[in-house]
Amino acid sequence: MARLELDSVTKRFGDGPDAVVAVDDVNVDIADGEFLVLVGPSGCGKSTTLRMVAGLETVTDGEVRLDGTRINERGPAERDIAMVFQSYALYPHMTVRGNMRFGLEESTDLDDEAIDERVEETAAMLDITELLDRKPGALSGGQRQRVALGRAIVREPAAFLMDEPLSNLDAKLRSQMRTELQQLQNDLDTTTVYVTHDQTEAMTMGDRIAILDAGELQQVATPLEAYHRPANRFVAGFIGEPSMNFVETTVEDGALTAGEGLVYPLAGDAADAVAGASAVTLGVRPEDVRVSADGDPADVASEHVFDATVDVVEPMGNENVVHLTLPNGPDLTATVDGLRQIADGTDARVGIPAKAIHLFDRDSGEALHNRSLDDAEMDAPNV
Amino acid sequence: MSRVDDLRGTLAAVDRSRAALYAVLFAMVAFYLAPLESGLATSIKTEAGFRATTPYAPPPLGEFTLAAWQVAFDRLSQGLINSLLMAIPATVLSALLGSLSAYGLTNLDWRGQTGVLVLFVAGVFLPYQSVLVPLRQFWSAVDLPSLIPLGFVGSYEGLITLSLTHAAYGIPICTVLFRSYYATLDEEMIEAARLDGASAATIYRRIVLPLSVPIFAVTLIYQFTQVWNDLLFAIVLVTDPSNQVVTVALNQLQGSFVNQYNLQMAGAFVAALPTLVVYVLFGEQFAKGVAGES
Amino acid sequence: MLGGLFGRSERDPDDAESDGEQRSRPGGEQRLRTDGGATASASAGTDASILTRLRRSEFVESIPFWGPPAVLVGIFVYGAVAWNLVISLIGWDGLGQPEYTDFSLAAYEQLLVDPSFTSAFWNTLILLLVFTVLSLAVGLLLAILIDRGIRFENTFRTIYLLPMSLSFVVTAIFWAWMYNPRIGLINTALRGVGLDVLTTAWLSNPDVKLFAIIFALMWQFSGYCMVVYLAGLRAIPRDQYEAARIDGASTLRVYLRVIIPQLGASTMSAAVVLMVFALKAFDFLFVLFGVNPGQSADILSVMMYRVAFDRLQWSYGAAVATVLFAMALSVIGPYLYAQYRRGEL
Repeated sequence: MARLELDSVTKRFGDGPDAVVAVDDVNVDIADGEFLVLVGPSGCGKSTTLRMVAGLETVTDGEVRLDGTRINERGPAERDIAMVFQSYALYPHMTVRGNMRFGLEESTDLDDEAIDERVEETAAMLDITELLDRKPGALSGGQRQRVALGRAIVREPAAFLMDEPLSNLDAKLRSQMRTELQQLQNDLDTTTVYVTHDQTEAMTMGDRIAILDAGELQQVATPLEAYHRPANRFVAGFIGEPSMNFVETTVEDGALTAGEGLVYPLAGDAADAVAGASAVTLGVRPEDVRVSADGDPADVASEHVFDATVDVVEPMGNENVVHLTLPNGPDLTATVDGLRQIADGTDARVGIPAKAIHLFDRDSGEALHNRSLDDAEMDAPNV
Repeated sequence: MSRVDDLRGTLAAVDRSRAALYAVLFAMVAFYLAPLESGLATSIKTEAGFRATTPYAPPPLGEFTLAAWQVAFDRLSQGLINSLLMAIPATVLSALLGSLSAYGLTNLDWRGQTGVLVLFVAGVFLPYQSVLVPLRQFWSAVDLPSLIPLGFVGSYEGLITLSLTHAAYGIPICTVLFRSYYATLDEEMIEAARLDGASAATIYRRIVLPLSVPIFAVTLIYQFTQVWNDLLFAIVLVTDPSNQVVTVALNQLQGSFVNQYNLQMAGAFVAALPTLVVYVLFGEQFAKGVAGES
Repeated sequence: MLGGLFGRSERDPDDAESDGEQRSRPGGEQRLRTDGGATASASAGTDASILTRLRRSEFVESIPFWGPPAVLVGIFVYGAVAWNLVISLIGWDGLGQPEYTDFSLAAYEQLLVDPSFTSAFWNTLILLLVFTVLSLAVGLLLAILIDRGIRFENTFRTIYLLPMSLSFVVTAIFWAWMYNPRIGLINTALRGVGLDVLTTAWLSNPDVKLFAIIFALMWQFSGYCMVVYLAGLRAIPRDQYEAARIDGASTLRVYLRVIIPQLGASTMSAAVVLMVFALKAFDFLFVLFGVNPGQSADILSVMMYRVAFDRLQWSYGAAVATVLFAMALSVIGPYLYAQYRRGEL
């Protein structure tokens, strides 16, 4: 059990002018027992960050602390950390038992019996007891994944590091393992840092998520915070599927304008937020866009309703993803109930509710205004 | 009907081109085996027999004899034993050293690896002529029996010298072969072992070495044939006739039985037998070793 | 092929822990001090950490593994090459021990005016070029034939590569018999098909001697080229053949325009090995001709042995050896550099 702190952690590859900054001044404080998901597109530095915590990469600048003690200089073996790798990295010539024993043999003074006991216990917990005498080559992908987990858990480390551990599983198994892994982490209550590029995993698994882009930390927040109160345009676009709609607008007379097709009057907080700004990105999540084939959407003020053409409808079963074009204006994506019939090529009325909009500074990408959560059945998170 | 005819035409064309393909393949087989076949046929003929018949024909009735093989074997048996005594330790030693250095240069990370590696790789291509004179000087300055005070060293000095020389010059190619294999090991697996608390030496002993069996097979087989087949080092470094290796003995046999081709051929086969056996049994590994040399 | 061998190349340049870098970093300790109470223990930790870091750095950990082999290679390869260079400068002859007192380039000056060096040098170049091109061409042909999805592929491949497993002493004896002017297989076969005009004393006729040697060496090495090319062919995705066929190209054109151009790396690595072999080819000629192959077939590697170990002109032999080494270096230097530039070392 441990608290893990990253304090201005920076990683540069190379020297001088050729140096590449892979991780730039990342600060995260991970509480004891917390499940933190590090998420971002590939190449954003999330794996490098994890490897610095593991001791597999040197820290160029800043400090990694475990329970308040600097561990930058400790070798990977001396950090009391276990890691689950994307490739599982099992030792192919050892049985499952051998794989699980290895870490205990090398890093503890436990006698054979104690090691056996620990291995058996962990195997039982993961339901892999009957696999103990098989070699990794004889296991399915899902079984290997469990063994890789078992190898980490059996060591009872201060923290787990997981590097895309589910990405080699097929979709069904992946969602099953997601739940199981969360439960396991809950039971063990061990501090966990979990790296993934998959925003669904990030949303569903983490106590908090840390979103990285181009080596820089964008936001650390609970999943819902990141979803509803993104710190900037990158987070808003990265979290959520289908992605948030963005419309590049200019502010004219208290209204957002995008070409001739879209003039969106602002009021209240939103209007205050753009005071002094001239270039603003309007963001709205697909599920907040109201679409109706006949009259105006019921709960949207008339000045926020626009004519549109339905380009393509992608039926997903539970919902339809509707791609729309506003004449002389932007494209929008909306999700509507799966039972609704909307045909390609028809005309529609589109409403963008004022309380659902996000506004971002077009230059910096910073959030100027986030949607209101007044009528949400949750406590408005503090941002 | 035309469609059927077309199909027949196509099939016939395919058949013709396949037939031509196999004809060329078999012609090449004849080309590669001709010297061996001619040698083998000659080795079991009497002298009158190989003078009277075509070289590739089997011995005619009454001209068949294994006498040449018998003589060749008697002449070369000491050389065979010496070659084995020399080649096996040399092969094992350079494979082991190659494995160790490849591990240090591949699976452990440090700056400047490439520089050291280039020196090893360049060593693969060294023409041995450019070290022969110093090598002779070096070994004449080293007094092995006094360095290693064991009874047998004195009488096998030439073989030990030759074996150690082959071991040293075999390190570069063995390192290259092992490195090519170690580079394919899962890097995350090595990292997992480090996180599990294993030291570099433990990782080598418990993870890398047990996984090296296939590449040890390739390296041992390839390097064994290389060492066994060498003549140059042997004629320069071994002067004592009782330490003569089989290639030198075969060369002398050839020189002393100038026109007795049946004896020469039998000798060639006797000297080549161990490598031929190894090749037939482990052709796959030999091919990998050969491909790795480039 | 080196490309395949050195697959692991993209090392992060910063991976190796550099102590100098750590020490020279100004931020570390100061920041610690702002953390208040941590100062004392942290700075003590930094002092000790230089030692612990050194002990723990992968460079230090790796030395026991590559160090001893590197020392052996350093002595036997590079030390010996340097020693050879020194010996070439000291004018050492005969049975006595060398004296490292007077250094001169006399041996190299002698090379320039020695007609046997000139002929050996040119013969070496001819051998190097013709042998390399011929072996590559035959090897490529074999590889393409084998790659046509034939039956008994392994058997064919095993047979073609077989000569490569034999000692040059053995193959020289076989080929001396093949080339026997009266009853050897080559002349017998030529007479058999009515080509009596072509029969000759292959290994004594100065006009054909070198070619006869090259042909026999090609027999031995083309299987090696086949193996290298086969690996190159197998690395080309099957789709490319099919795509080219769908585009309407004939089999010949598929190979000429699509496949062979992609075998550049295989050609280069095989060519380097063949050329370096041509420079050191010794055993084969020595078994056939002893130390005197005659002017038309003399090559530098044989000349080196003759001069040094037969005539005991050690310095002169060492000078020939230096020329050989320089020639080998001029072949592998650019090759290794190209590999390095492509990040394949």
